[in-house]
Amino acid sequence: MAEFAGLFVTSVLINNVVLNQFLGMCPFMGVSRKRSSALGMGIAVMFVIVVAALVTYGLYYWVLVPLQLEYMDLITFILVIASLVQLTEMFIKKTSPALYKSLGVYLPLITTNCVVLNVCLVNITSAYSFTQMLAYSIGTPLGFALVLYIFSAIRERLEISSVPKPFAGNPIAMIVAAIMAMAFSAFAGLV
Amino acid sequence: MLNAILMMLVLGALLGLGLGLASKFLHVQPDERVDTVAGMLPGYNCGGCGYPGCSGFATAMVEGETDEFKCRPCKADKKKEIIDYLKNTPGPDGKTVTIKG
Repeated sequence: MAEFAGLFVTSVLINNVVLNQFLGMCPFMGVSRKRSSALGMGIAVMFVIVVAALVTYGLYYWVLVPLQLEYMDLITFILVIASLVQLTEMFIKKTSPALYKSLGVYLPLITTNCVVLNVCLVNITSAYSFTQMLAYSIGTPLGFALVLYIFSAIRERLEISSVPKPFAGNPIAMIVAAIMAMAFSAFAGLV
Repeated sequence: MLNAILMMLVLGALLGLGLGLASKFLHVQPDERVDTVAGMLPGYNCGGCGYPGCSGFATAMVEGETDEFKCRPCKADKKKEIIDYLKNTPGPDGKTVTIKG
């Protein structure tokens, strides 16, 4: 339990995937205009990462290691991730056309979201146990969703505040992201 | 080497099968009025209506985003045909679309 909690808190707050490792910047800037689509994106990414991590972890230790094909990890992981994103896209298109529309091109782009591949590969290269793998694979997308949601709430407020003209739009969002990263670095003393 | 090729083949086949099944269960019935209206529009994709191409404008009309006929290059008889078609053909929800001339 202790190893779960420690790694979980670390991957949500301290080693936050967006603000500390600068992965997944594309959806972070692209889908953060509205809170509802940020939440949808966060949940979609969380689903893809948790399932992809479970599948790739099992695939690696039950198929690739016995067959001595460890060097094939990258290409098989990409295959699994791409299929999962396709499945998620079909599911969202069926269940929530509004969310499908608001996510737009960023939904199929989860395929190339480096957070997903990062989680799958780190699970292997860090030789995580099953518990650690679960903690890391749930914590990382949770941190991503959390930061994305906070950021979108700030951007909604920015829309109605008077920003100096040269900074309006994306530039001020970049500055906000930098300040958020500084604020999150304070979590480093947590564990 | 042979192992690697076989493994990729099997994995690809399994994932493909899964996606194929999923696409059957999660199939979305497309609104066929969009295709019909897009076929009746001139098909220049000039963008003069402010929508991304003729199919974009067709989607906007069918989904009720606009009730104005914004296609400039469209011939008068075709325009009437489209408006009549949308007025007389109910969508999946049983409603028809009224476009102002």
